[in-house]
Amino acid sequence: MTTVPGAVTKAPAAGGTRRRRPRSYETLTGYLFVGPAVVLFCVMGLYTVGYGFALSFATWNGFTPNWKWVGFDNYADLLWRSPVYAPRVRHATLNTLWVMIAAPALTVAVSFPLAVLLNRVRRFRSVLRSVYFLPYVTSGVAVFFAWQYILQPDGAVNLLLGGLGLGSLQQPQGWLGNPSTALPAMIVVTVWGQVPVAMLLYLTGLQGIDRSVLEAAELDGAGWWRTNASVVWPLVRPITAVVVLLNLRESLQGFQTFLVMTNGGPGDHTNVLGLEAYRLAFLKNLAPTLGLASALGWILFAAAVVLALINLRALRSRT
Amino acid sequence: MTSTSPEARTSRARTGPPGERAARTRRLVARTVVGALLALYGLVSVYPFLWMVSAAFKDRIEVVRGGHLIPDDPTLDTLVDTWNKLHFFDFFLNSLLVTGYTVVLTLVIYAAAGYAFAVLRFPGRGALQKLFVSLLFVPGITVMLPIVLLENKMGILGTHFGLVLPFVNGGAPLSILLMTGAFMAVPGELRDSARVDGASELRIFTGVYLPLARPALITVALLTAIPTWNEFLLTRVSLNDPSTYTLPLGLQTLSAENVPHYNNLMAGALIVVIPVILLFLSLQRYFVNGLVGAVKG
Repeated sequence: MTTVPGAVTKAPAAGGTRRRRPRSYETLTGYLFVGPAVVLFCVMGLYTVGYGFALSFATWNGFTPNWKWVGFDNYADLLWRSPVYAPRVRHATLNTLWVMIAAPALTVAVSFPLAVLLNRVRRFRSVLRSVYFLPYVTSGVAVFFAWQYILQPDGAVNLLLGGLGLGSLQQPQGWLGNPSTALPAMIVVTVWGQVPVAMLLYLTGLQGIDRSVLEAAELDGAGWWRTNASVVWPLVRPITAVVVLLNLRESLQGFQTFLVMTNGGPGDHTNVLGLEAYRLAFLKNLAPTLGLASALGWILFAAAVVLALINLRALRSRT
Repeated sequence: MTSTSPEARTSRARTGPPGERAARTRRLVARTVVGALLALYGLVSVYPFLWMVSAAFKDRIEVVRGGHLIPDDPTLDTLVDTWNKLHFFDFFLNSLLVTGYTVVLTLVIYAAAGYAFAVLRFPGRGALQKLFVSLLFVPGITVMLPIVLLENKMGILGTHFGLVLPFVNGGAPLSILLMTGAFMAVPGELRDSARVDGASELRIFTGVYLPLARPALITVALLTAIPTWNEFLLTRVSLNDPSTYTLPLGLQTLSAENVPHYNNLMAGALIVVIPVILLFLSLQRYFVNGLVGAVKG
């Protein structure tokens, strides 16, 4: 992909009449142009990554002058050894896994049919697309509070269920107050926020499908259902792969929704790994948990790299 | 393949009027069902916003009573009250400052970097580019603690500047991807002829490439502005002085009261959300193209 401009500059002899400045000039300007980005990256990226990595092998509370080096103790404590942290991490891992399974599956289950339907209509398409996009644009504290509000015991969701004659499904403790509905409710909120981008990707994928393929399927007697299930769905499989992996990454790392809406509660039933790391890092005051927090961050990083490798393979199999 | 469709049309015409009518009815039913389903999800999409708006126009007593989406006695007092009581104007300005600086710095730094990666040849270019893109895979939480510790040492923790720097750096992978892609699409002949005319590299960059990459610049600005406006995690652990708070943080202080008053909370939420919605609606073309481009890249 970098070959087009490269071909021009790499063959100066072929250019012949073109006047060229010396190579060193271009090198110098190149470094000047990337300079600010690289400097910022060295300070905010490389340094912090290295610092965090070192800290994951030490014990520190953030205030004492020295770190105490402990080797792999932090990792061992988090993964199996500590009676305090290991069970918490295990529980949070379980919750995170639930989100990582349910959120991508539901996002695909909602956004693919939605895109297929949206692709059928001409009128209102752009209006609907804007409406569907609101959850993504506004994703943040404000909307999470709005969800919290409508999931309350006397909130709009219970009200709606009562109005539809589904009063037995109402949650008198509120959807986030009942330990058995809190995590599913959080998954629904997550999916609600993920559908817009997924729907948009499917929509562009659908518009890229050759019309003649669909017409051929129709001629062969395939109805609308058959065409979508047996022809369109396999054709957009690469997009499904991208959607699922974007979602997996978000489920693994994202915890802002959980921090704002439940803070892990009730009773840690919605505690996820990102939130646990955030707590260890910032909400333990003088306890020496900063090394543990870094270690947990690096465990998450390792998981993200594994996902990224799968991502690469899936993308490569597309072409 | 084009020959098949007229054939299909004639065979359909041959079935005569009754079949035609049935087909038309079927199509009408299908269209109604599709419309209904689309409208239903539209409702799901805006559902929390409906209640946000509703609560923002209710008074304290009515919001506790719950019940109706449409307030019995709509009042502007809640919005005015929330705006005044919580210095929302100051928070608003702070949010605007942080978002503005982040967007401007992002555009300046990564447009230049993208130009270098797309157009200039220099040793180490490929490795640097890969380094930036690989940053996409570092989870935010992994670097958040070191950033706070580093800024504490540098004495910029708690300042807006201390927020802007990591925000700009965090946007590097995406911004570089988009800018590099946009600059590579510019025909190399333009640069060559500008050089023949004796234009400096900086002139070529600002005079030829930047104007041509305007859509990408707007996309990058939007994709930077919206998450920055909504950012909460780093902001929350960085800012201590209420006079520096951004809107999401100001909003959080509302919910941290002993008994959160949902009418005030929703009025505040509405104030936070409206600017982003307006920004999105006015520039959504760029937004949609940019997101698709970002994922494909």
